This record gives sequence, structure tokens and C-alpha cells, in this order.
Amino acid sequence: MMADLHLLTILVFFPLAGCLLMLPFWKRPAAARPLALGVMTGELLLAAGLYASWQGLAALKPALPGYLLVEDAPWIRAFGIRYTLGLDGISLLMVMLTAFSFCVALAVSWRAIGEKVVLFLMLLLAMETGIMGVFLALDLALFYLFWEVMLIPMFFLIGVWGHGRRIYSTVKFFLFTMFGSLLMLLAIIALHLLHAQQSGASTFGLHELIATPLPAGTQLWLFGAFFLAFAIKFPLFPLHTWLPDAHTDAPTAGSVILAGLLLKTGSYGLIRFGYPLFPQAAQTLTPLFYTLAIAGIVYASLVAFAQEDMKRLIAYSSIGHMGYVAIGIAAWQPVALSGSIVQMANHGVTTGALFAMVGMLDERAHTREIGVFGGLWGKIPLWSFFFLLFSMASVGLPGLNNFVGEFLVLSGTFTRSPLAAELAFVGIVLTLVYTVRLVQEVVFQTERKPLPLPDLDRREICLLAALALLVVWMGVHPAPLLELVHGPVQLLVGGAP
Amino acid sequence: MTKADLMALMPLIILAGGSVAVLLAGALRPGGWLYELALAFVAAALVWTVAVPASAVMPGLAVTPFFRFFTLFLDSTGLVALLLAAGYNKRRGIVGEEYPATLLFALTGMGAACAASDLLMLFLGLEAFTFAFYILVAVERDSIRGGEAGLKYLLNGTLSAAILAMGIALVYCSRGTLKLSELALQPAAPEPLFLAGVCMILLGLAFKLSWVPAHLWTADVYQGSSAPVTALLSTASKGASVAAVLLVLPLAAGWRGGHDILWCLALATMVCGNLAALVQTGIKRLLAWSSVAQMGYVALAFVALPAGGGRAAIFYVVAYGAAGLASFGAVSVLSDETDRDDIEQYRGLGYRNPFAGAALAVALFSLAGIPPAAGFMAKFAVFSAALRSGETALAVVGVLSALVAVFFYLRVVVALYMKPADSGNDPARSLSISESVALAIPTAAILFLGLYPSPLLELLERILG
Repeated sequence: MMADLHLLTILVFFPLAGCLLMLPFWKRPAAARPLALGVMTGELLLAAGLYASWQGLAALKPALPGYLLVEDAPWIRAFGIRYTLGLDGISLLMVMLTAFSFCVALAVSWRAIGEKVVLFLMLLLAMETGIMGVFLALDLALFYLFWEVMLIPMFFLIGVWGHGRRIYSTVKFFLFTMFGSLLMLLAIIALHLLHAQQSGASTFGLHELIATPLPAGTQLWLFGAFFLAFAIKFPLFPLHTWLPDAHTDAPTAGSVILAGLLLKTGSYGLIRFGYPLFPQAAQTLTPLFYTLAIAGIVYASLVAFAQEDMKRLIAYSSIGHMGYVAIGIAAWQPVALSGSIVQMANHGVTTGALFAMVGMLDERAHTREIGVFGGLWGKIPLWSFFFLLFSMASVGLPGLNNFVGEFLVLSGTFTRSPLAAELAFVGIVLTLVYTVRLVQEVVFQTERKPLPLPDLDRREICLLAALALLVVWMGVHPAPLLELVHGPVQLLVGGAP
Repeated sequence: MTKADLMALMPLIILAGGSVAVLLAGALRPGGWLYELALAFVAAALVWTVAVPASAVMPGLAVTPFFRFFTLFLDSTGLVALLLAAGYNKRRGIVGEEYPATLLFALTGMGAACAASDLLMLFLGLEAFTFAFYILVAVERDSIRGGEAGLKYLLNGTLSAAILAMGIALVYCSRGTLKLSELALQPAAPEPLFLAGVCMILLGLAFKLSWVPAHLWTADVYQGSSAPVTALLSTASKGASVAAVLLVLPLAAGWRGGHDILWCLALATMVCGNLAALVQTGIKRLLAWSSVAQMGYVALAFVALPAGGGRAAIFYVVAYGAAGLASFGAVSVLSDETDRDDIEQYRGLGYRNPFAGAALAVALFSLAGIPPAAGFMAKFAVFSAALRSGETALAVVGVLSALVAVFFYLRVVVALYMKPADSGNDPARSLSISESVALAIPTAAILFLGLYPSPLLELLERILG
């Protein structure tokens, strides 16, 4: 019934269709902007519609256990590649986050992008297709395809509309990601061949490949290649160096999408592909994973404390926050994993909001240096209010969204590795230190330079209000989200759903 | 030769006849519709190949599905190269009938090489098209670069021809036959003389495919010849040479040394090509070194020949052909009046000439092996063949050198789209119809093969049987 509507295909390719629809408006940006907003809103409504009906879909019991919708068709027979898309609770959460983040990205760049507007919109829409595909693909080759496709628009986004050393940053971003993903490609092919040797079936399907028994050594190599690719995206310490550069030099929309979505593709890939495909290897590498994650949290927090550029500070804080997601995955335990997944959504919303706010400030003051501002509470109270709210959320104030994720991650991890949980807890204190410094220097203090700063306009208030609502709602009443990911998480860690 | 044989050979006959006809037409009506006439002949050969599925065996020649597939590919590249050359040559003042006539002759030679069923015919075909390229490379008589390139190509080419001929002679000495099918029947232990011959034939072919260490001519020749000629030289001649290697490799099938030689060639070519491309500042030289590197991946496919490497090699060369045509095509469109060669001179051209810029960018992403371009599927095919035949180390080297390649391809994209244009912000020349078509065909092929390679892969499966 609903599976016959090819909703997942529509979800993936509707933005691409919108991208092609932009072509006739090449010279008319004024008409193209509302059109892009329409496409993105349509996509968001579609995702929301899926969310509204997920319990009904789950009752229908589609082809794969735990999935709400599955689409499957042969694509490249000669290689054994199929076009398999599947939606479960985790994907649905990520799909909603994606659709929402793109609306935010468009809204923040409504006026900030004045040149080559239509090209910008087309790239945004093309990237939305790529990211949707990453979150829905269940065939490893198809996943890889989307995984690479989403890079190209981001490459242009940073390189064309970025600031500062944008070309250096975007090339660095691209090469880092390609390095990991090319080795992952080899691992994917190797896994496919090993499976074909054992069973005689040529397939890249995730659920067929999961059943491949592998010798421990092989598993470690293959998992290593996957882990590297995902760890670069994550980004885990010491593979994170592309992130501060890319974030700092990207346009605001690029930062929102980078922080909100591209980092999530790394953690999502580990949850969906890395751990299920190579469980023993993943167990072996768990101590390393913990170590890198905690080192990342501590290091990023310390470096964030020393930053003078607000955007760079938030970029480093991203590394720290993703460290909690990493710890939750490393624990591979229902509570911690649910926490990680919810935290992925939380971080997307809060950090996206913070980047958007810094972007707004940058549009007004043409600088992002912390030392220039001060006393903004008295000058632009609305901006300051929202900034304080999102900063508090980012620290993990109870009642706001990040608290839920971090709490679940830490309490789940505590049952597995008390030491890791304790060290990560120390990290929260460090987070508090640099965030309080940021807020204190920018929002409070006395005014350092007389800057003519107008307060938020109506578009910005609407955008931030929507984000703030989400932050509060996800913090006060996270039960629906936890329920959404509960079934898939139980299936992943092995237990009764 | 029966009537059926003639019908089967018609694609070659049309091209050869067309070459003569264009020469005659040029003599009778100088400056007439020569390119259009040549285009008509190529199109006729193309249509005939598709429409008449004949096969025939003649002394020296065998019209097989393999031949028909390669004719299709070669004639398509010829078509695009002619479309590119038509406008380019007019603007550059290269007039005369020799250009289109020689191009048709080159296509005939390539077709003959793909149809060869004995070594002599293979030699004839290969040298016929190489001979045609000696002329085409130096066709711009006033250009110093062109003359230099022509001389370099001639000296290297004749050396490779001599080696090839010597190899054939050695094979004939030891076996007493030139027929490929008889030579492929291996005795238990191949005699050293025969193996020496096969090695020399491979070395001769390595020149044509610019495999390291027989690649030294590539950069100079690609840079010196006019861009439409380079477009044809870097795609069609590589395609025909790949076909020749596929015909010759059964001779070394059971011999471990053959595998080892190809292994070393693949390794050296992938690494040297990509590293050398890294330091180039001119776009033609960059693309030349990149084409060297790309042929390294073809060699990797040949190493994995028993594990489906043949299909991967052909798919790779088709994907590369499309990307080569699009990239050199875009270069010829963008550099026709001013000799624009430095990468920095391509600043901002992506906006001033959107279509040619986009074609170049798509081609570069395809060469870098990034989906959804055909180059990704090609690399996928090659790497899976390599891993299947157990060449993990070579595959890892290939992947890492592909990463190096990403960097220099991106440099061009960065110049096209991310750097401000130079002071002279003159409105770009709008493309003529022939140029637009010539860029649109390979670009569409890149995207189609990248998203839906099934038809081609299944066709290759049937051809290689």
C-alpha cells in the first residue's frame, strides 16, 4: 500500500528534481529562492508525514524486520548492486533532521548569499538528495555512491561562497574524506567477494552481508577501513583537523549542514554498517574507540577555550559533542546507543542553531572575533536571549535537549565501562568552562566597541523560535523520539525488540 | 572474398573510401563542405555497424562482435573529434582536406587493428593509425610546438613500430605461424624465443598505451598537438590499443612472467602518472599525465584478466574515452583563440562559459573516479576485478594514487569555479552548435554510464563470452 507509493524514492529524489527545476530560473534568483523553500518544505512535510504514521507502518511488518518501509529493485546486475532503500526508526530520525536542517540552511542564507544564488540553491538541493540517500541506502554500493555524491556540493559550497582560506579548507575537507572513503570502497568490494566465495551469491545488500562469517584477522582489516572512513567524518581525534578549517571558512549554511548532517553520516554509518557487519572486530577496537573519543572531548574542549573566533570555537565544541556520540556507540548497549542516536539529532539542532546565530552576528558586524563584542545583552536582547538558550542547551542544562542524550550515553556507558563514563563526565565540566566564557565575553561584560547592531528581524526570529521550540521539546519530552529508535536499537545490539 | 564478407567489412570500407573521397573532394572544390562530408562517412559507418550485425572470417581479419563494439566506440570518438575540429580548425586557420581525410584514415587503421586475426594485420592496423597521427599531430605547420611534438611522436613511434615488428618476427620464427588463434594454443612450456617475441610485442603496445616506462612522449605530444587531435589521440588510439592488447594477451596466458610484467607496468604507471601530474601547471600536460595514470588502471585490469579484467579494461577505456573527449573538447573550446594553457588562465571560466566549464568539471570528476560519473563505475569494475584475482596490494596502491589524483583534478575545478576571473572580463564566446553537440555527447555518456552502466556491462559480457 504505502510501500507501493515509492515514498523513499520520492524522499531521496524530490530535492534533485527540485534542483533541475531551478535551471529555468538561472537568471532570476528572486523567483528561485521561494521555489527552493517550497521544495525543502515539501520534503520536510513528507518526512513529518512519515513520522506521523510510523506506528501504523511498523504494524504492517514489511520485508525486513525492524524496518518501516523498504524498497528494492535490481540496479547493476553485472556487479550484483541493487537499489535498496530502507527506513527504520533511526533513519527516520535522521531523515527528519536532514529535511529540517536544510530548511534552516536555506533560511540563514536567504540574504547572506547574494552571488550566484541559483547555483547555490541547486547545490543545496543536490546535497539534500545525497544525504537522504546516505541515511536510507541499505545496499553498500548504493550507500557508497550517495556517500561520495554528497561531497561534491559541499566542496563547491565552501569553495565558492566561503570566507578566508576557503580553497585550502575545502580541498582539505575533500581529500580527508576521500582518503577514508576510498579505502572503505576496497573493503566493501572485498566483503562482497568474500561473501560471494562463501555463498555463491553476488550481493552488496547489508542484510545478506551481515551473515558472512569472517576470520578474525580479515574482519579487523575490513572494519579498520570502515572505521577510518567514519572516524574522519565523525571526526575523531586525531583525524579532526579538517573540521575547524572547513567550519570556519564555510558559509553559514555550509556550517549548519556540516555540523548538523555530514558529521552524523559518520556516526550513522558506524551504527548501521560498521558495528553490525564486523561485531567481533568492533569489540576488539572498543578500547581504542573509547580512548580516541575521550581524548577528543578533552582536547577539543581545551582548544575551544583558547579560540578567539566564535565559529571556530563552536566547531571545536562540535568535536567534543560528537565525542559523546562516539562513546555511546562504543559502549554498544541499548541505553547508551539510544542516547547516541538522540544526541545526534540534538547536536544537529543546537549546533546548527549556534552556527546560524554566529552567522547572523557576522552579517551585522562583519567579524566573529570574541574580543570585539561584549554587552550584547543590552544592545540586541533578542539575539542574546536565543544565544544564551542554545549555549545552555549545548552545555547540557537539564530540561534542554542535549541533557537527554548525554545523560543516556553516560548512564548506559557506566554499565559497560565506568572508567570511560567517569572521564567523559569530566569532559562535561570542560564544556561548561568554554561555553560560559563564550557567553560571558559576548553577551555580558561591557561593550568593547560601538558596533551598529540591529536586532533580529522577523525571518530570523521565526527561524530561531522554531529551533528553540525543538530544543525545549526534545529536552522536556524526548519519549516519542526514544520510542522511535527503541525497536531498531534493540535489534542492533541483539535482544528482543 | 564473398559478398557477405564485404558486407561485414563495410564499416572499414566506408571509412577508407570516405578518406579517399574527402581527398578528392578537396582537390575538386577546395574549402567546400569537407568536414560535413567526413562526418557523413563516419556516421554512415556507425549506422552500418549498429544496423548490420554481420560476422565473417577472412584471411587476417575477423569481423566479430568484439570488432563491432570497438568500431562503434572508435567511430563515436571520431565523430566527436571531427565536430570539435570543424570549428577549432577554422578559427586557427588550419584549412585543407588533409585533416578530415587523415582522420578518417586513422579510424580505418584502428578498426583494422580491432578486427585483426593475425599479427601482421594487427601490426598494419596499429601502424596505419599511428602513421595518420604523425600527420595530425604536426598538422599546424606554423606552430613550433606542433612541429616538436610531431618529431617526438615520429621518433618514438617508429622505435615502437620496430620493436613490435621484431617481436612479431621472433614469434613467427619460433612457431611458424602468425594466426592469433593458433598462437594462443600453448605448449606445456613456451620456448624462450616465443616469450621474447611476446614481450617485445607487449613493449610495442606499451608505447601506444603510454605505460611507464614507455610513456615519455605523451606529455610533449599532447601539449604540442591541437586540442581536437589530442582528444582523438588520447581516447580512440587508447581504445584501439586496448583492443590490440586483448587480442595479444592470450599468447601469454599460461605464463607467469606475463602477469609479472603487467603487474610492474601497472604499478609504475599508476604511481608515476599521478605523481607527475601533481606538479604540472599546464592543463594539457596535466591531462596528459592523467591519461598516463588512467592507463595504469587499465593495466591493473589486464593483470586481473582471468577474474573478469577484460570487461573491466574495456569499460574503463570507454569511460576514460568519454572523459577524455569531454576534457580535451572543453580545452579546445576554451583555448581556441588564445593559447590558453596555464591552469591559472582558466580562472572563473566556469561562469563565463558555463557549458564548457561544466563539461570540463564533469570530466574531471569522472577522471578522479567520483560518483555519479562513469569514472567511478570504471574504477569500481577494475578494483573488484583486481581484488577477485587476489591483487590486494596493487589495488591499495591504485586507490592511494587515485587519492593523489583527486588533488590535481580538484585544482582545475578550483580554478574554474573558485578563483576570481582575470581582469579581462570579456563576455565569453557563445558555443557553436557543433561544439555544443561535441561536448554534450561525451558528458551525457559520462553521466549515463555512471548511473546506469548495466547495458554496457551486459554487452561486454556477451562480447567477451
